[in-house]
Amino acid sequence: MFILPLMAMLIGVEFILLFNRITTSYEDKLKSDYAILVISKKELSTPLLRSYSDRVDSVESMNREDIAKEVTAGIQDAGMVAFLKGLPYFYRVHLTEYISLEELKKVQSNLKKIKDVLTVEIFGENYHSKHTMFRLVKMILNIFIVMLFIVSIFLVIKQMEVWQLAHKNRMQIMEVFGAPIMLRSGILFKIAFIDAIIATILNIGIFIYLKVTWAKKSDIDFIKENQDLLINVSDYFILFFTAFVIVLVSVLFVAVKSSEVPEG
Amino acid sequence: MASVITANNLTIAYDKGKNIVIDSSTFSIEQGEFVFITGLSGSGKSTLLKSMYGQIKPQSGSLLVGGLDMKKIKKGQLLQLRRNIGIIFQDYKLINEWTVEKNVVLPLIITGYNLDVQRVQAEKLLSHVKLSDSANKYPLELSGGEQQRVGVARALSKNPFLILADEPTGNLDEFSSGVVWDLLENASGQLNATVIVVTHKIPTIFNLPYRHFIIENGGVHEVH
Repeated sequence: MFILPLMAMLIGVEFILLFNRITTSYEDKLKSDYAILVISKKELSTPLLRSYSDRVDSVESMNREDIAKEVTAGIQDAGMVAFLKGLPYFYRVHLTEYISLEELKKVQSNLKKIKDVLTVEIFGENYHSKHTMFRLVKMILNIFIVMLFIVSIFLVIKQMEVWQLAHKNRMQIMEVFGAPIMLRSGILFKIAFIDAIIATILNIGIFIYLKVTWAKKSDIDFIKENQDLLINVSDYFILFFTAFVIVLVSVLFVAVKSSEVPEG
Repeated sequence: MASVITANNLTIAYDKGKNIVIDSSTFSIEQGEFVFITGLSGSGKSTLLKSMYGQIKPQSGSLLVGGLDMKKIKKGQLLQLRRNIGIIFQDYKLINEWTVEKNVVLPLIITGYNLDVQRVQAEKLLSHVKLSDSANKYPLELSGGEQQRVGVARALSKNPFLILADEPTGNLDEFSSGVVWDLLENASGQLNATVIVVTHKIPTIFNLPYRHFIIENGGVHEVH
């Protein structure tokens, strides 16, 4: 049965797609939640900040009156006006990517070069721990996928050896009578393509079940939050395509290995 | 008459030239001839036959089959050539998962003949080899002699210009051997196919004129 190794490989592929979406979504969330605080004596514009660092995505100006109100609570209005006059400008600077701490420090030093900037706060420690955690999760997932793939490749190779033993005699007889490779391996293609279709449908079925039923009932927040990221329509085509490529390569490999005549 | 096989200083060897089986032999075989090749076990009879359908490439010299140089032949040309050669093996080499009828028409399937042609040809050939009742059986349901008759029918199914038979009656009883020799005689006599038979022993009763080559110490010599 070619279905089992093929299913294992397709699960690997779906995990790659899924983990990719999850990490991208997680990265986006971390990115949008994070901002550098820039304090300046004078007003700053987005193009000016961008000219000092191409990592700057958007700039959000913080309401100075709100800040003044919070700080001067209980003080008379005249005091507040005076306070507001001396209050610098505060900006939240969002970045284009979720970069490493080293790169973040580079951005910080570049922004500090702006003439009127008083301080640039990157909240480095907190950022670093989150970023490290994110990298760790991504690395563990990648290791898991690679291992899953290696095991699946071994299973497919074993299956090809079984096929070769089972079909070698017939293929060689057909070759002696002049059958081209596609005709010799016709029956293998037929079996393999049927297996590919079944394996893909089963895989899609499993992931749809996980998305619609299991993820909904799950008590784990992370799974609930990422429910929509589980299998989507474009994955169906990717899985079908992957399965077909795998069977095509496997069958051609068996057919060529079964040939007794060197290619010339 | 046109030459079907032309060997010129033909040398065939195994182990990258270390083990020479056929040594600098020159001979030719014409269209429609019936040829026996004999020799002791291990003398190189089957090797010579295999080189004629491209299973083994010549080490040096030249071997032309149907005008094609077997040393330089491309894979595609070889497959094309094989579609016009009928090959009979001592161990039959039938496809056990296929019915007798399908085995017989294998060369027609490969060439792409339609099902009607395949059916008509299978019926005719199975009748010739006296196996009309076994069309839907599988090879393993037949005796050795019957399996070899299927093998002969398969070799004849596309009216090949060349028939190569490797010990075709080596494992057969007298009746099956008789049927096989009759079919090969007919193929040569009526279809004008060239028939080359590798055998230990030439049959005592044989109705056609034939040529006899013997392989000794790597040389291919004609016996007159």
